[in-house]
Amino acid sequence: MDTVPTTENCRYCLMCRHVCPVGHITLLETLTPHGWGLTIESVKRGLLQWNDETVNVLYSCADCGACRANCVTDQPLPDAIAAARAEVTAGQLAPAIVYEIGEMLNQYENPYVKQTPEKVTGTAIVALFVGDEAHHLQPEAVQAARTLIQATGVSPIEIGIGRNNGYIASSLGFPDTARALAQTTLDELRASGARKLLVLSPGDYFAFNQHLIERLGLAWPEEVELVELTTYMNDQLKAGRLALTPLDDIASCAYVDPAHATRVPAGRSAARAILKTVLPIPARELFWRGERAHPVGSTALQFTQPHLADQLTFARLDDVVKSGAQVAITEDAGTLYQLNRHAARFGVRVQGLYELLAEQISN
Amino acid sequence: MTLLFPSEMIRSELEEIVGEHFISVKDTDKLVYSTDWSWMPQMWLDRGERLPTPDYIVHPGSAEEIAEILLIANKHHIPVVPWGGGSGTQGGALPLFGGILVDTKRMDKIIEIDEKSLTVTAQAGINGQQLEWALNEKGLTLPHYAASSNCATLGGYLAPRGTGTISTKYGKAEDMFLRMQVVLPTGEIIRTAYVPKHAAGPDWARLWLGAEGTFGIITEATMQVDYLPESRLLYAILFDNLSNAIEAGRLMMTRRLEPFVIRLYDPESTRSQVKKVLGYEYEGAYMVIGFDGDADIAALQEKKALEICKGLGARDLGREPGEKWWEHRYDFYYPPKSLHLPWMYGTTETVTTYDKIERLYWAEKKAVEDGFADWNVKFIGHFSHWFHWGVMVYSRFIIEEPPADAQEALQLHNRVWNAAMTAVLENGGMINEHHGVGLKLGRFMRRQYTDAWPFLVRLKKMIDPNGIMNPGKTGF
Repeated sequence: MDTVPTTENCRYCLMCRHVCPVGHITLLETLTPHGWGLTIESVKRGLLQWNDETVNVLYSCADCGACRANCVTDQPLPDAIAAARAEVTAGQLAPAIVYEIGEMLNQYENPYVKQTPEKVTGTAIVALFVGDEAHHLQPEAVQAARTLIQATGVSPIEIGIGRNNGYIASSLGFPDTARALAQTTLDELRASGARKLLVLSPGDYFAFNQHLIERLGLAWPEEVELVELTTYMNDQLKAGRLALTPLDDIASCAYVDPAHATRVPAGRSAARAILKTVLPIPARELFWRGERAHPVGSTALQFTQPHLADQLTFARLDDVVKSGAQVAITEDAGTLYQLNRHAARFGVRVQGLYELLAEQISN
Repeated sequence: MTLLFPSEMIRSELEEIVGEHFISVKDTDKLVYSTDWSWMPQMWLDRGERLPTPDYIVHPGSAEEIAEILLIANKHHIPVVPWGGGSGTQGGALPLFGGILVDTKRMDKIIEIDEKSLTVTAQAGINGQQLEWALNEKGLTLPHYAASSNCATLGGYLAPRGTGTISTKYGKAEDMFLRMQVVLPTGEIIRTAYVPKHAAGPDWARLWLGAEGTFGIITEATMQVDYLPESRLLYAILFDNLSNAIEAGRLMMTRRLEPFVIRLYDPESTRSQVKKVLGYEYEGAYMVIGFDGDADIAALQEKKALEICKGLGARDLGREPGEKWWEHRYDFYYPPKSLHLPWMYGTTETVTTYDKIERLYWAEKKAVEDGFADWNVKFIGHFSHWFHWGVMVYSRFIIEEPPADAQEALQLHNRVWNAAMTAVLENGGMINEHHGVGLKLGRFMRRQYTDAWPFLVRLKKMIDPNGIMNPGKTGF
């Protein structure tokens, strides 16, 4: 895609500053959509060069999508930043950690453990994309998701078990690796014969619904319906095919919009609706929620800028504390993993949505 | 980046005040902070030319830290440029002579929301929209709905005397201000009186409204807030000619019908901007009016306003085009819908009384269109901030094919501005109503204030004896 018009447009536009999570925690003009656009355009004009300093700026964007989600003219700045990162990685100018993660993705198809994805065999009408975050970081969420789906009378075939959906690779500046990862999953999906693919998080939904097409130039199989598990469960609840017993007593809870939430708002409405059916009192809302939801540090930022990633996670936990809640609930494995790493110091307990719901099944 | 010996000595002093994480001398940061939202520096960088950059960018966390920074600046005679959101259109935040750029955004705390007196007290670096969200959680609103609210700070609302979309009922940002804390150029931290309406001497608190950082740095403000309105009614009408439309607005204001908005587009804007952003093809002067508050009162006010409009021959467009305008009112500022490079443009907004406004509008339009016909200049405008005594016209010029050379482009830009401002001043207008003076309009301040200007210069000298604060701005 031609990303020049995007950075030309964004370099002097300040209209999404208020929703940029990195801009909010760093308070630096440079680390805002305007700053990234201007940096990229200034390199093109010879006013800056790619070096350790400018590359550091480039890799400070969380690629969370909040800017585009709040842009009236739908400027795909995250894609333009990813394209600039691709230039930088190709020029061997990226930080060493970027190449290390790139190598992990090439060899093991995930950035977390040296373990290749499990082979997929068999066919089914419904498939569940497991991915790498849930498989490696939050396996109990996968088990809970299986239980929930089976409670609706469906036995899905699991695909992409332990494989990145391609997003981390493209976000780091490895579009070819990203395409290879996404294509392998598409091949598994085709072989499974599934007509519906359930995904566990908005990150996975974004990866297949938009990222795959716009950033990677691949095609989604038209015959396959892509559905977030939260949306699926809410539909099943409404149709009476899933029943959940309300909790008798639980500490005050807050729903944390997961990473990429602003990119896929529908699934968040569903998550909130489901929680309403099981919680004895309504879940509290964070300040940074809904269309202004800020992520934790679970994107590629966790590898390239771990200090910024941690600050994002601290900010979410602080938000939970300020809401008056004692428990943070969310469905995304990466978000759960990052929250859990630091929850104790904030006196917050972290609860997976699927794990919570799986224990309340009553049909 | 390696600094020369004296520069490193000063950097170290500043670091001791704000901490190592809150000072930068990086080239990327310097470049990004070298431009604000004004056309001049943006064009300069667009053409691949370098701008003056700050020597140090600091993010102080308190008024006390700012006070210490200013003491250092005085000691070394270094310029200090306050920075909020960088959303000014007149170059008011440009670090023309280098020095210390003080980004206030770390001072972003809400100190108190008083739900009885309906006030909010916050640090000046808080983002406007984030402040608004926090108030909305309590059913309140700060009715300064600036197009720049997504990026501007509370201090940035006040320093250039900003005006928002619903100012016609709720006033300019300065009308919402009760009290502020300011760090003077000499490093003293002072607070103004508890309330703005009193008779305890001259109204000196207003010195920092419109000073754009040349008299010190606003660090905290208490603002009046309102309840979120029960209803907002929007309606659109179309006039055959501008005169009748302005007269309709004047009658709504002088009869105190309290519209929260009267947005009147001139025929050229109606043809171009309204069509481009809202998709309506109208010939004439498109007007949106809005009334809010208790539903029954708002409905009655709207009814009376529509009677005025119909009495002046307006065509009833209905509610939908009005509501669509409200929903999309800021779309005009998102590229590529907004004015954008490589075009040349400037907002020569001005304000005057009703007896002069139409003559002023036509005089400015003629000066720009006749003077720069060779450049195929367009002149468009809308009348959007109405007072009991007059109205602001948000006039703009656009040249879609300006000179490619940066210096030639800047020279042409200045010539167009000169022509526009001369017409404004000769017809009883102010050089601007809410964008501020900044760098762009500084040279017109002497002509604006004539025999009062030397008094203002003496005042500046008294408040800022070393001339460190935002040099080159507001005419100082």
